Amino acid sequence: MDVGGALLDLALGGDSPGIAVVGTGKNVGKTVAVRAILGAAQRRKLSTGLASIGRDGEAVDAADGRPKPRFFLRAGTTFATARGALPSSPAVELLRVTEMPTSAGVLVIARVREPGYFEIVGPPTASGIRVTLANLRALGARLTILDGAVDRVAAIAGDDRAIVVATGAASGATIDDVATQARAMVERLATPAFDPLRPFVKIDGALTPGAAAEAIARDERRQIVVRDPSQIAIFGRAFLGLAPRLTVRCERPLRVVATTVASIGGDRYLDPVALARAVAQATGLPTFDVYASARAAA
Amino acid sequence: MNYDGLTDATTAGALDLAWLAAQLEPVSEYGARVFEKIEPFARGREAAAQASARRIAHAAEQIDDALADAVRDVLRRVPDIAAARARARMGDVLDDAAFVELLRFCDACTQLTALVAGASALEWKTADGIDDLRAVLERGRAGQNGFYLDERFDARLADTRVAARTAQASYDAARRRLAERVAGALSREGLEDEFIVMRADLIGGLPAGVRAIREAPTYLLCALELDEPALEALRIRDVATQAVAIAEAEVRAALSLEVRTRCPALDEAAIRCGHLDVLVAQARFARRFSCVPAEIVADGVVEVRDARFLPLEERLLLEGRTYAPIAAELDGVCVLTGPNMGGKSVALQTCGAIAAYAALGLPVPAASARVALFERIAWLGIGSDAELGGVLSSFAKEVVRLRDVLARASERTLALVDEFARTTTPQEGRALLIATIERLRAAGACAFVATHLAGVAGAARARHYTVRGLRDSPQPAADGDLEGALASLARSMDYTLIEVAGDEVGAADAIALAALLGLDREFIQSAYVHLKERPWIR
Repeated sequence: MDVGGALLDLALGGDSPGIAVVGTGKNVGKTVAVRAILGAAQRRKLSTGLASIGRDGEAVDAADGRPKPRFFLRAGTTFATARGALPSSPAVELLRVTEMPTSAGVLVIARVREPGYFEIVGPPTASGIRVTLANLRALGARLTILDGAVDRVAAIAGDDRAIVVATGAASGATIDDVATQARAMVERLATPAFDPLRPFVKIDGALTPGAAAEAIARDERRQIVVRDPSQIAIFGRAFLGLAPRLTVRCERPLRVVATTVASIGGDRYLDPVALARAVAQATGLPTFDVYASARAAA
Repeated sequence: MNYDGLTDATTAGALDLAWLAAQLEPVSEYGARVFEKIEPFARGREAAAQASARRIAHAAEQIDDALADAVRDVLRRVPDIAAARARARMGDVLDDAAFVELLRFCDACTQLTALVAGASALEWKTADGIDDLRAVLERGRAGQNGFYLDERFDARLADTRVAARTAQASYDAARRRLAERVAGALSREGLEDEFIVMRADLIGGLPAGVRAIREAPTYLLCALELDEPALEALRIRDVATQAVAIAEAEVRAALSLEVRTRCPALDEAAIRCGHLDVLVAQARFARRFSCVPAEIVADGVVEVRDARFLPLEERLLLEGRTYAPIAAELDGVCVLTGPNMGGKSVALQTCGAIAAYAALGLPVPAASARVALFERIAWLGIGSDAELGGVLSSFAKEVVRLRDVLARASERTLALVDEFARTTTPQEGRALLIATIERLRAAGACAFVATHLAGVAGAARARHYTVRGLRDSPQPAADGDLEGALASLARSMDYTLIEVAGDEVGAADAIALAALLGLDREFIQSAYVHLKERPWIR
């Protein structure tokens, strides 16, 4: 099946300005999922803008030295990257040289004129990402694709952007581990909007394990409201344990539409069919294996 | 703007020179480079300081707020081409982002020329060569602010790009044929660059055109294996891509050479942008605050008429209150007395600030002024001991500062002494103050000495100014309304400075002011009773 096309269909179901792919960790196939979606968008000739949070798309991962795929971009694609990451060839149409700093110089917005491989480097802050996505749209990108980091999802909270959660063998020792991690992240990101007609208490900043423990201890029944799901600083099994005991809600919800799985991650191999099925069952979301060109049956 | 040589931190704080710097701050990197080099005019450069102030005032006459804002808007957005200029000068090949910056810089110069065409006082002129460079780079303009290494720069670019596109299409087609064949063999609709093949699904090994890149117990991670036609298409594509890279590099090298030959023009234009930025900020300041060029004189005097201390005036205006300008003629050492809250400190600040503005070549906030170029302006007294921490008492801090001020006092010093020695006994404070005045006079300094102590002016044989003081009794505001009390006081107070003979000292009005500021009637009555006791008169 055309996994990229299927993810694109799910994302574009609403009045979405784009898609963000976030990972449960490193080497979980996030960039591969982005590439599949990008390929589908290019095949459909959608005017597409591509951006990243932090450094991404380089040949070698700056953090662990592992090889990572670059993006092969077709003519007409708009993208944001660092000035220092632009290849000398093929030349691109530089649309805007911003003053926004990144790890490799200021951020530039460019349009591909001749196809080629490009490194995508993004701004490190949520506000920088918001500005970058707005720039891409202003410069003609109808669909924007964000290769994201989960701790920066605040940048896209509230704008109806579809989120795809990438997970894989690198994030757990067993299929059950990976599925549990994926479920925790999906449930955290999918924290519902609060109901202003019901009692609530707003948290300034992040909801920490300590604050959650205090709320449980005082048998807090009101909705506990954070600004957006990135402000819930409780992860994995701890979050899953918290969910039934507190009513955590947010002001700016996110729209999680699907998950992808990568059965190879680092030095670890998991059975792809069983992994995809387990993640689909755990998250209740459409789950795709980009490598296997398959969708899991939940 | 560097006023370190003119004042120390205490004096700069008292005169609020940071406020002045903020008002004059340019908006561009070019302006910032010029601004940071602005220094006070030294003694002997009276004509230059005068010319600077007149130049700014002339510019202020020719620009209105709309023009100033428009010029600053262009300058705010103009990119900094310092790095591009430096690289071009060294013979480096510039990148496309540098060409974007240079094109935008040339655009900004053109916009500025159009904007200030009717304002000759701004002294703007596009440097020779900027229009030429703009014409060269124009061929790469993409949209309003974009740039592309377009085929218009070199026809060979077009040829190599067409060849590369053709080669890419051929390779894509060859690869697509392979992918379709493999996908068919694996019963799939399509394949990504890397794909999984389950071992259980394999009968007789991987299909032709597939290679395993990683192996797991139950599956293989695979990629397409290019066949001979695809490899040949890939080879041709790579050659074509390389040809594009070479052609693009040649165009960039040629463009960089064009930039290099125009580096002197770019340098000149960058300097002009900086000066324009600074001049517009100064003219805007002069216009906004109705400043005029002072007459800069060689004698060590400060003579002002309708002079204002701008930071305070601005605060008062924000509060809906009015500022009362002052007039004074400081020549040698003058003593200033007057009631509490009568504006003695502000009078000192006004004279000091005007001397500082004049030294920096700026118009001054007054109807007219005659000012010397002081080499040092020193504030001594209230507020001057903040930088001296440690174990020193308030009095000790003041004395230490006095020691430092007197050590450097000269005929080019303007000393502003605000209630010095207020923390010791009146008798000894008076003695210290008279000695201070004598020492300052001996050094030839110009000084304005504010005090509540009686008999200082006469004993020191100094000119004596006093604040006229209360015209009538200010009405206490209801329920301790401090703002209301201050407004009432401002209405009743005459802040005019008048010269008086000898030691005539008016009432401090301290008890009346204490009543105005909310102390209860019983307390005030008690104070008036004690005032009549005069125990120090024996």
